[in-house]
Amino acid sequence: MAVGALSLKHKLWNPEARLAYILLLPAVLILIAFMFYPIVYVFLMALFKTDKLGRLKEFAGLANFIEVLSTKEFWKVTGRSLLWTVTGVVTKTIFGMIIAVLLNVEYRGKKIARMLFIIPWASAVPISAMIWQWVYHSEFGLLNHTLKITGIWSNPPVWLGLPIPAFAACMWVDIWIGIPFMALVFLAGMQSISEDLYESAYIDGVNWYQKFFYITLPGIRNIIIIATLLSSLWTFNDFNVVYILTRGGPVRSTDILITSVYKSGFEWLKFSRASVMALVTFFILTIISILYAAIYFRQESA
Amino acid sequence: MKKVLIIVIAVVVVVAIALILFFTLRPKEVEKPKVTFYWATYDGLTEEFRASLQDAFNAAHDDMEVDIVPVPWRGLHDKLTTALAGGKPPEISVIGTRWLLEFMEMDAVEEVTQYLSKSTVDNIAPGAMEAKIKGKLMGLPVAAGARIMAMNTDLTTKVPKTMEELREEAIRVRNSTDAYGIIMPGKKYTELTDFAYYLFAAGGYFFKIEPDGSYGKCTVNSEAGVKALTFMNKLANEDKVVQEGYIALDRVESHPIFYAGKAAYVMIGAWVESAMEGAKSTFKTKYAQIPGFAGHESTSLIITDSICIFKDAKNKEAAGKFLDFFYKDEWKAKFDELVGFPPVTISASKLPQFQSPLYKALGEAALNAKGWPLMDGFAEYTEIIWDALQEAHLRRMSSKDALDEAASKIDKLRGM
Repeated sequence: MAVGALSLKHKLWNPEARLAYILLLPAVLILIAFMFYPIVYVFLMALFKTDKLGRLKEFAGLANFIEVLSTKEFWKVTGRSLLWTVTGVVTKTIFGMIIAVLLNVEYRGKKIARMLFIIPWASAVPISAMIWQWVYHSEFGLLNHTLKITGIWSNPPVWLGLPIPAFAACMWVDIWIGIPFMALVFLAGMQSISEDLYESAYIDGVNWYQKFFYITLPGIRNIIIIATLLSSLWTFNDFNVVYILTRGGPVRSTDILITSVYKSGFEWLKFSRASVMALVTFFILTIISILYAAIYFRQESA
Repeated sequence: MKKVLIIVIAVVVVVAIALILFFTLRPKEVEKPKVTFYWATYDGLTEEFRASLQDAFNAAHDDMEVDIVPVPWRGLHDKLTTALAGGKPPEISVIGTRWLLEFMEMDAVEEVTQYLSKSTVDNIAPGAMEAKIKGKLMGLPVAAGARIMAMNTDLTTKVPKTMEELREEAIRVRNSTDAYGIIMPGKKYTELTDFAYYLFAAGGYFFKIEPDGSYGKCTVNSEAGVKALTFMNKLANEDKVVQEGYIALDRVESHPIFYAGKAAYVMIGAWVESAMEGAKSTFKTKYAQIPGFAGHESTSLIITDSICIFKDAKNKEAAGKFLDFFYKDEWKAKFDELVGFPPVTISASKLPQFQSPLYKALGEAALNAKGWPLMDGFAEYTEIIWDALQEAHLRRMSSKDALDEAASKIDKLRGM
């Protein structure tokens, strides 16, 4: 027992560990100040009645949770957020994969193509969203004008004015912005797969689809897990696109949890309600992260 | 390993000492009081004017400076509440006067007159002092203007006397030209202006006004409210005289269609001339009152904005000096001219540029205009009413059912 304790102390307090602690200290202090304190305060606001500046006034226990969770609107918004995230991430993954495969093939102009693909990701999200707002404009917008003059759709919908088209239009902008990230990450993964594997497969006479499903996909499995996890977290919290394009309308049909949190907190100054919704978001994202981590580490250890 | 540790610690200590010495021994500059001003970017207001006002004040004052921060209207309320919640409010900000009660409840604003010179206060038109609450002027009026109707005279010369006449003429224009009859923003914006025009035209209001002046139950579902929304719906979905995709376009996105000469009528504010100048409009306009429905008199919407001084700000005295500077005719009259609002100062209202037909129409509209309800929580009620309007426009609910539901939600939130 004494030897065990000594060994543990040695592990935690040897010169190397001490150096690590010193180097970690600034980051830890910054994390405490800028991450943990706000998170703890959000927990407190959810448990208290607050004033219009978010100051804690009176302990409310679970009353705020009951109030929020008992409204239909909250469950609609939560369901929509999940639909938004799943659709967004799946589509980004599929398109990202196709583009990565295309960018991984040797052809003239590949470098230019790679550069062009990164533009949506490299541009500021609010600017991209504002550009799309004009693209979708029913009177002066490029999209409907193009659809009409080419005869593809003589009577296209008012994209941001009707519930389902508005949701789809917001979704598309989020996907358009997110595809380059997925494509580049997948491309980096593909380039790390040894050429020897493909050459052996070629000698064995396998076709392109077997190569993709038996060499490429397994080779980038971990990268796919990390990329889709990150994309899930970002997509779930994609405030800019929805807020700029529709502000959650028409009739809240594009509101997702993050925009509802913002409206409750900063437009209506109902910080307790906003905190409860923020905690639900936190809870959902934590579960997603834990699930991903479990899959990732199980594969690592296998 | 020990050596590395010692080197790291030594480097950290040396850097820390160097930084401490630098910050303690450097010659100290006397910091000038700085006034931060959240400046709402009104339609028609130019960046050149903002910059020139800031530069002129800073050049004329060695002992203080102003930082005029442009903030779009859409984000101003949120930016202010975030700044207040963070304990770092600006010295002054333009606000919608309807937000004032909320800020007063937060104990965030102070009486402005204590920081202003007597001449500035005396020069404010008494009728513009909507922010005078219990005898204290809590916000200095910066813009006050009623809404009017602008007409493209290339498309119509008819001044409608009633809403019904307006509808007839809008249908005529739509059927005989490729232009729209009337502009109707249908997307959620900061305010509910367009519904207010029709609601007031039918003799309605948002809340019952009790004999003591307080607000009673929500009345958007009154006969007038239902009439207004049904009429709007008819214009948009049956007559189809409003701009295509109206439900996806807010004020900022739909008014350019009028400026482009593609609509006969628009209900608009005083910024119409400067906005049309900016859009290089080539057609002639005429101004008229927003008509009432048959049997109701014309009742416009009047909107006032104010400038508040925030209690927790550092340099309130300097803020007062800046406001004295800004409220001189040289600057304030130019501001009024750009945003198009009738002046709130007595001296500027006598200037020749404010005697045009537009200002005449605005003055007439103000005589019988109603303002927004001055009440806490109106931002959330606005959202609820917007949802009801859109439900009706999308034909998912009847006007009556949608407004009934909205009124009931609002009353419930207000504990009624």
